[in-house]
Amino acid sequence: MKIQAFRLLFVLLFFQTMLFAQSDGMVFIEGSRYLPLYGRDSTVVEVKDFEMDIYPVTNAEFLDFVKLYPNWQKSNALKLFTDKSYLANWKNDLELKKSEKLNSPVTYVSWFAAKAYCECQGKRLPTVDEWEYVAMSDETTKDARVKSSYNEQILAWYEAPRSNENKIGQTPKNAWEVYDLHGLVWEWTLDFNSVLITGESRKDVDKDSNLFCGSASLNATDLMNYAAFMRYAIRGSLKAKYSMKNLGFRCVKDLNE
Amino acid sequence: MKHLKVFFSIFVIVLTLASCNSNKSKNAQDELAVYECPMHCEGEKTYNEPGSCPICKMDLIQVEENTSKSLNNNEISEESIFNLTSQWHTEENATIQLKDLKGKTLVMVMIYTSCKAACPRLVADMRNIEAQIPKEKLKDLNFILVSIDPETDTPERLKAFAKENLIDGEQWTFLQGTKSSVREFANVLAVKYKQISPLDFSHSNIISVFNSEGELVHQQEGLGVDNKETVETILELTQ
Amino acid sequence: MKTTLKVLTLLLALSMYSCFENKKKVYANAEDIPVNREMIAELTSPPNVPRGVGKRKAKKLIVKMEILEKEGEMTDGVKYMYWTFGGSVPGSFIRTRVGDEVEFHLQNHPDNKLPHNIDLHAVTGPGGGAESSFVAPGHEKVFSFKTLNPGLYVYHCATAPVGMHIANGMYGLILVEPAGGLPRVDKEYYIMQGDFYTKGKNGERGLQPFDMQKAVDENADYVVFNGKVGSLTGDNALTAKVGETVRLYVGNGGPGLVSSFHVIGEIFDRVHIEGGSLVNENVQTTLIPAGGAAMIEFRVDVPGTFIIVDHSIFRAFNKGALGMLKVEGEKDKKIYSGEIRDGIYLPEGPGIQSMPTTGEIIASEVPAKSFEEQMEFGKQAYMQTCVACHQAEGQGIPNAFPPLAKSDYLNADVDRAIDIVLHGKTGEITVNGKNYNSVMTRQMLSPDEIANVLTYVYNSWGNSGKKVSKEMVLKVKNKK
Repeated sequence: MKIQAFRLLFVLLFFQTMLFAQSDGMVFIEGSRYLPLYGRDSTVVEVKDFEMDIYPVTNAEFLDFVKLYPNWQKSNALKLFTDKSYLANWKNDLELKKSEKLNSPVTYVSWFAAKAYCECQGKRLPTVDEWEYVAMSDETTKDARVKSSYNEQILAWYEAPRSNENKIGQTPKNAWEVYDLHGLVWEWTLDFNSVLITGESRKDVDKDSNLFCGSASLNATDLMNYAAFMRYAIRGSLKAKYSMKNLGFRCVKDLNE
Repeated sequence: MKHLKVFFSIFVIVLTLASCNSNKSKNAQDELAVYECPMHCEGEKTYNEPGSCPICKMDLIQVEENTSKSLNNNEISEESIFNLTSQWHTEENATIQLKDLKGKTLVMVMIYTSCKAACPRLVADMRNIEAQIPKEKLKDLNFILVSIDPETDTPERLKAFAKENLIDGEQWTFLQGTKSSVREFANVLAVKYKQISPLDFSHSNIISVFNSEGELVHQQEGLGVDNKETVETILELTQ
Repeated sequence: MKTTLKVLTLLLALSMYSCFENKKKVYANAEDIPVNREMIAELTSPPNVPRGVGKRKAKKLIVKMEILEKEGEMTDGVKYMYWTFGGSVPGSFIRTRVGDEVEFHLQNHPDNKLPHNIDLHAVTGPGGGAESSFVAPGHEKVFSFKTLNPGLYVYHCATAPVGMHIANGMYGLILVEPAGGLPRVDKEYYIMQGDFYTKGKNGERGLQPFDMQKAVDENADYVVFNGKVGSLTGDNALTAKVGETVRLYVGNGGPGLVSSFHVIGEIFDRVHIEGGSLVNENVQTTLIPAGGAAMIEFRVDVPGTFIIVDHSIFRAFNKGALGMLKVEGEKDKKIYSGEIRDGIYLPEGPGIQSMPTTGEIIASEVPAKSFEEQMEFGKQAYMQTCVACHQAEGQGIPNAFPPLAKSDYLNADVDRAIDIVLHGKTGEITVNGKNYNSVMTRQMLSPDEIANVLTYVYNSWGNSGKKVSKEMVLKVKNKK
């Protein structure tokens, strides 16, 4: 009897680890529904369970990537997928500039490059809804958007200059145990081009249906949440082949359930 | 003796002339071949004789005979959308890659069939452009409508849409991709879109013109916008 | 010879005629003005402005404006993260001419965190250029516009949230001069007012973040010229010399408050109201709307320091809206003399005067019945009548009014004291060894009251302790 029980326990334990086996460097994010900043008529969106990288992708990791896939190296990357400032802070194809650190987040990468990196690992870029969902937590609360301290901390980062010389993991992790969603670099998302602001912010309040089909229904749900506002503004100003000093990325993985 | 000298000199002269002739004939054959610098230092410039490139000093190589421009048939330029390797289904249920569209000037727009607001107008704008192209040039053109909603817009639905809107001709092609390939394609065109309900999308209204190499040449943003520049660009490309 | 001369003069006349003809070419519509070659615009930081356009023709003007997010000092110990055009608040001054085709390059420095754009009020076109200039960090956007209307215009960033971008200092001025340029003046300066909203109070030290709620409530912590407190004071003051004409290009970036612009001690000879073509003259304070501007011209006639303020005066003295114009040169006493004289002012004057009365003094209703009551009534009368000069403890005022406390003069002769109160006194006297030469008017007190007040005085402050009665007073009174 005891042996049976022990065996059963062993089997259960074994299966349990398989069920909750987390990929290296990722954490499990339990899905839920929430109201994003830009949506339709205050519609709640649903985020399914997924796994997210704990840290943004670093220079070291991207270096390994371009060694394996030389067509993404600085001199080989296609003009369709990158602009002139691609990997501008790298000295050459396989070397960083002296001032750059290996465990800083990789920046000056385009959306196409970030997408290719994630896909080569069997992962993908997070969607805006997924990214915002994990990012709306602070150290203790999963939805901290109503806390003024949360907004203040983020805005303080927007005011501080030159923060991406920092290394990953310097700011405290949030309630999901994910680091650096705020305070390090902006991050690419899979559908960043779903942010339909023209940049002419006075008109964004108006339904400009000539430029954007169906735009009448999209408006910011909380105008005072201007920390998130600015993230959407950055997303609206980007094109997929752009690279920027303050823009990096991380990957997520769907769970096969 | 004297005769011999004269005869000998005449003989020599004749020989040299003859060799000249043979040179000429050789040259005549060579003249049909054309040479170019392998690094295209001077762009499309070609030479009639072998030699070396005045800029990079490499040996000139013979240009292969083909109908297209200076690039070889199998080369795709860095900026061409044919670099995208995604697979697409047409309204005729054929499976193609974008590079299968090479060779014609492409006029592309992104729509979805259940769209009620802007897409009908975009289609009308495309038709307006078509009307301004002389008939004999139409065979060098391809009007391509890419669906933003690949889940709903199956080839059958696309074909039905084409018939309904009277754009079922040879030069009209509809493409269904996957969610991922459509997002990638839109980013190349800098088209923005967002799904706002199961059947509705919000998207930017852009008509893009590509040359026969798949390079983006011109974009027109907005509805009912004056399409003069777009038409001019197309006419230039189909010379 | 004669004919050649004739022909020559005829030719000369003809060529002169064509010269005159050319000069008169005036275009009815600004959009028709042709441009003649290219020019790179000279951009300056406040308070300086670029050279005037003078008589130059309309050109293709290339403007390269860089956006820089940088930390600066609002006032002592208070730091603020400014978002700037060209590295300064307000941003660089752009000087153009009507008809110029401006090719505008907006460059967003790669170190910046946010996208920006620009709306120039001088642009005729959607968003004032904002739509076409939305640019991410590390990129540049180029667009072109033709200046159609002369005037002084504001430019600012228009990226959401607009109020925040403006509040952090993203504003400046662009001048479109008319054909031929503005009339020459001796000094030109660039001033722009702005209001700032910080999490901490005015003066709280440290790096202060922007406070959105205060901005929405229009509750400014700092209202300043040129981006910080003291930007135009002390060593940074504007300067001019007596006799010079000064033109101020004044803008108001806002984002919230309107400016009541005034220069203390100067009158504005000419004001281009709101930066337009209408000129008002002889103006003391001019209203500059948020997102507006004004051109102000005046001649400085006298030397001194003229304070520049927003006349909503608490902003000037408590929030920083204060600047200085220091003028040097010869004084002109006719226009302003400075202090001429410093004197004493007493309502009664030099001679013995009496207050106007109807007639007899009315005796007090309730005469004092006892010594204590005399003291009480006397004290009251003293505090009403005598205290102003002789002071509360009878100490008097040195060199002015003699003391009554321990006064030898007083204690020597009671009748003389009564006489003084009844009839007044002038002339020199010596009290306690000091000379006094002043005027005491006669007091309008009834004999009862005189008796009371003198009893009080004699019985206070170490005096002789004499008691004065009504009869004694009457005796002195009737003597005369």
